[in-house]
Amino acid sequence: MAELQKDPMTRGDFLGFGVLGAVVGAILTIPPAAFVLGPLIDTDVRGQSDVPSGPDDWFEVAPISEVPAGTEPKVFTVEFPVEQVYGKPEIQEESGTSSKEFTVPSAIWLSWEHEINADGTYGQNLRPSFLDGKSEGLSESEIEEIQSTLNVLSSSCAHLGCPVRWLIREGEGEFLCPCHGGIYNINGEYVAGPPPRDMYSYDFEVREDGIVYAKHQFDTGGDNGPQEPYVI
Amino acid sequence: MIGRIRSQAFETGKFLTDWMEHRTGIVTMMEHFLYEPVPKRGAWLYTLGSATLFCISLQFLTGILLLFYYVPTTDHAWNSIYYIMNEAYFGTLIRGIHYWSANFLLVVIGLHMAQVFFSGGYKAPRELNWVVGVALLLLVVVLAFTGYLLRWDQDGFWASVVGMKIGSYSPFVGGPTIRFLMGGDVIGPSTLSRFFALHVWLLPAALAPLIGAHLYLLRKHGVFGSEFEYSDRLAKLHERERLESYEQYEEDEGEPFTGRRDREDRE
Amino acid sequence: MYAPATGQAKPLEEEVITEENVYERPDETIAFFPKQVLYDLFVSTLILLACSVLSYVAPAPLSEPADPATTTYIPRPEWFFFFYEQMLMFFPGYALIGFGAVVVPTIFIILLFALPWMDRGPNYSPLQRPFATVIGLLVVITIVLNMLLALARIINFPGA
Repeated sequence: MAELQKDPMTRGDFLGFGVLGAVVGAILTIPPAAFVLGPLIDTDVRGQSDVPSGPDDWFEVAPISEVPAGTEPKVFTVEFPVEQVYGKPEIQEESGTSSKEFTVPSAIWLSWEHEINADGTYGQNLRPSFLDGKSEGLSESEIEEIQSTLNVLSSSCAHLGCPVRWLIREGEGEFLCPCHGGIYNINGEYVAGPPPRDMYSYDFEVREDGIVYAKHQFDTGGDNGPQEPYVI
Repeated sequence: MIGRIRSQAFETGKFLTDWMEHRTGIVTMMEHFLYEPVPKRGAWLYTLGSATLFCISLQFLTGILLLFYYVPTTDHAWNSIYYIMNEAYFGTLIRGIHYWSANFLLVVIGLHMAQVFFSGGYKAPRELNWVVGVALLLLVVVLAFTGYLLRWDQDGFWASVVGMKIGSYSPFVGGPTIRFLMGGDVIGPSTLSRFFALHVWLLPAALAPLIGAHLYLLRKHGVFGSEFEYSDRLAKLHERERLESYEQYEEDEGEPFTGRRDREDRE
Repeated sequence: MYAPATGQAKPLEEEVITEENVYERPDETIAFFPKQVLYDLFVSTLILLACSVLSYVAPAPLSEPADPATTTYIPRPEWFFFFYEQMLMFFPGYALIGFGAVVVPTIFIILLFALPWMDRGPNYSPLQRPFATVIGLLVVITIVLNMLLALARIINFPGA
């Protein structure tokens, strides 16, 4: 092997390295970083979301008459659209060949709010009694009463996002997370286990026709802490 | 007749190896690789490292093969794996090897690491090889995590949901980290694309050069298996040090060493 | 034709063994090829055979297609995450989840990286550096115990 030859670096060489390095470095770092971090720029910097949540983006969950009257929730599936990367509606339209809408099917637990006794057992069922006679053509005050007593809960456990199930033990029902045993009562309030907060409840509204509508949005403020459900 | 063919074949072979050696130096290189002396007593212990390498090689090979049929989209990923498992020739075997050797990989990597830890193989001058090894372990674990979602079945999907939700609890960077992984603020088509890119390109591309560095450092400093490889040399060293301490004693005290003091110390 | 390097060609007897060079060369050596290569190949063959047999005896799993709206599916981690998953049980609430799930593992990984600089003593034998050995054994025991706890919890889950 030849001897090593160490020529001195001139000022021009140094400048050359600096300029060429800066050009190559800038082109090969900044655009790739923005390219890969795109979704992060959209969501965190520009405040966009993959789930449509404008004033018109309400999705039908179920008629109010299907919510069980007793101490028991019922699960309904709502397919919230997801406008993500190549699934964005304008791109789907542009291509013309693929019109499949991307959705996140979400399980929503509906139930009536219950008073909780001091020992944790369920007290009075707060279901409005006028619902025995009618399930549509509701007046404004009736809607308001329903909205204040209906539980619209996400099935995603507030701990690590596993799907919670309704389990009856010793006569009392409760939501149980199969992953780490988080337990919530029928109102979605935290009872036991590792979850840091109550179950997430959807933003929802009830209309005169007696149908519950929900948005892909959750109560993330207030006492429940800042943690968003993210994943689902 | 047969003798002539044999001698001609031998001549041709010699010509070809000489030709290659002259142009690439490959024969010297191979001899250098193959004839390095390695410790004899712990030979079976060192198979843990090569088994790790073998499992990773299987991952690369079967992973590339699976890509001939796998489709990384939410509506076709599951179907394409179902096809591999039920219709493709030897699909069960190719995916089975990918799955099972991933499991074996985590076992042997743990054993390999434990062996190096308990034998003190990370000590100077081999510190950096330990550091590279830990980095390799982390890469393998992240590869295992990202590969799980690609099936787009219940197991993989929910494990990833839990995994990302765990990441969301990271102090300060939790939210951005999982929005980066999901490619948005909800799990969807972008999530699968990203996990695919990480599992198939980014992480293996990072893994390969680190494996190279691991092997290079191994060859540079030699294997260190266990102290029992060196027991004769250690015994000789201690014997020599003992003799020297006697000489030192005689020099200091001016009288011959009888060994009595040594015995007293011991009692 | 070949002259396998045995490491014994050098005049070992004349070498003065000092603290510095005692670990330079083991007592006995073999050439990497053929013996060590054969051992490696033996283990690799075993692994490949095991993988092939298991591929048909216990095919790589593929459960139902992903359904984010399920309420009956029980998510379970893979076996190598059992100990980690179990550890999360011990850290409830906002303040602790992040600590147990992210901060503790991160510290552990940093310590793992820093190990060669934390244990710099001249001794290699696990018996002569009891502190490192005990810590190492404790880590192994913790991981195995957590795995067993997770397994017990999974088996005992109602409806599983």
